[in-house]
Amino acid sequence: MIIATILVFAGLLSLLLFLRVAKGHGSAARDLGQLTESIRPVDIEAFRNLIDPREEQFLRGNLSPAEFRAIHRQRLRAAIEYLQCAAHNASVLLYLGEAARQSAEPAIAEAGNKLVDNALRLRLYAFRAIGMFYLAMVFSNTPISPMGVAERYERMTRLVILLGCLQYPSRDVAAAL
Amino acid sequence: MTLSRALWYYLWLAPHALQIALLVVMLGRGMRRQFPMFLLYTAFEVVQFSLLFTLYQLHIQFDGAYARMYFVGLAISTALRFAVIREIFNQLFKSYAVLQKPASALFRGTSLVLLVVALWLAATAPGDTADLLMYATNAMDRTVTILQCGLLLLLFLLSNYLTLPWRSRVFGIALGLGIYASISLAVSAVRFYSGASNTFVFDLIVMGAYHGCVVVWLYYLALPEREPKLDANVWAHHDLETWNQELERLLQHQ
Repeated sequence: MIIATILVFAGLLSLLLFLRVAKGHGSAARDLGQLTESIRPVDIEAFRNLIDPREEQFLRGNLSPAEFRAIHRQRLRAAIEYLQCAAHNASVLLYLGEAARQSAEPAIAEAGNKLVDNALRLRLYAFRAIGMFYLAMVFSNTPISPMGVAERYERMTRLVILLGCLQYPSRDVAAAL
Repeated sequence: MTLSRALWYYLWLAPHALQIALLVVMLGRGMRRQFPMFLLYTAFEVVQFSLLFTLYQLHIQFDGAYARMYFVGLAISTALRFAVIREIFNQLFKSYAVLQKPASALFRGTSLVLLVVALWLAATAPGDTADLLMYATNAMDRTVTILQCGLLLLLFLLSNYLTLPWRSRVFGIALGLGIYASISLAVSAVRFYSGASNTFVFDLIVMGAYHGCVVVWLYYLALPEREPKLDANVWAHHDLETWNQELERLLQHQ
C-alpha cells in the first residue's frame, strides 16, 4: 500500500508540474528589460576568498575544531548565496545570449553563442558546486574547490561587455575597455 | 447501449480519429523530418487501433488473438514512445553543444535507474499469475509508465533549471506525453496495488487522459510554430553600468 501511495503521489505531483510549466509557457513572452533589471552584482573577489583553500587551512590551523566548523559553515552558506546569485545572473544572460544568437550580424550571433554556452556551463557548475558545499557543511573534511565558477563568471562578464560593444559601438561602454 | 458504454466507445475511437487529423497536419506542414519518430508513433497507433477495433467488432476469437495482438502492439507502441521522448531530448538540446553530452549521459543514467526501480516494483507487485499474458502486459505497462513519467519529469526539470526556451511544437508533444504518463502512473498504481475489481472506471480515466493528450498534440502542432521571441534591442534599455564596474575591477587586478 505504501508503494501504491508513493506512486500515486508521484503521478499527481508530476501532473501538477507539467500543468504548471504549461501555464508558464503560455504566459506572456519574457520581458528582457525586466529580467536584466534583476541582475545582481557579484563580488568575485569576496567569493574567491570564501572558497580559497589556503584561507580554509589558515582557519583550521588557528581555531578549535568546534569554532572552525561554525565559521566554516557560515562561510559555506555565504558562498552558496554567491553561487545562487551568479547562477541567477547566468539565467538572465542566457536570455540575452539567445536574443543575440538570432541577430543577422555574424559577430553578434557568435558572441551570443559563446554567452549562451558560458551561461549554461556556469549554471551546471553552480549546481554541482552548491551540492558540494552542502556536503561540506555536513562533512567538514570534504574538499571544496569550485574555482571554475569564478573564472567562468568572469568570462561571461567579458562576453556581455563584448556583446554590448558590438551592438552599440558608440556607447560609453567602450570607455570601460 | 448504456451511457458508460457509449463513453467507452467514444474514448476509444475519438483519440485515433484525432490522430488521423494529426497525421494529415504533420504531413501537410512538412514535419516528417522534424519529428520522424512522433510521426511513426502516431501512424502506428492508428494502424494498431484499426486492427484491434476490427478484431473486437468481428468478435474474432483465435485463442486469445486479441490479447496477443494487444500485447505486441503495446510493446511496439512503448518502444516508439521512448523514441519520441529521445527525439524531444534531441530537439531541445540540439542548439546547445555544451549540453548534448551531459544530457545524453543523464538520459541514459536516469533510464537505467528508473528501469531497475520499475522492474523491482513489477517483480514484487501483486497480481494473478495464472493468466501469464495479462500479468506480463500489466507489469510491462506499469514499468513503462514509471520510466516515461520519470524521463519526462527529468526533461521538464532540467529545462526549467537551465531556463532553456522551448519551441512550441516540441513543448506540446512533451506536455501531452507528460500528462498522459502521470495520470497513467497514478491510475495503474491504484488499480494493481489495491486489487480493485472494477477496472472499467480506471480504463475510462486512462482513455480520457490519452484523449486529452492527443488534443494537446493537435493544438500545438496545428498552430504555426512559435519560436521564443526575444527582443535583441533590449541592449538599448539595458543598464550596462553593473557589468562595466565588474570589468573595471577585473582590469584593476591585472
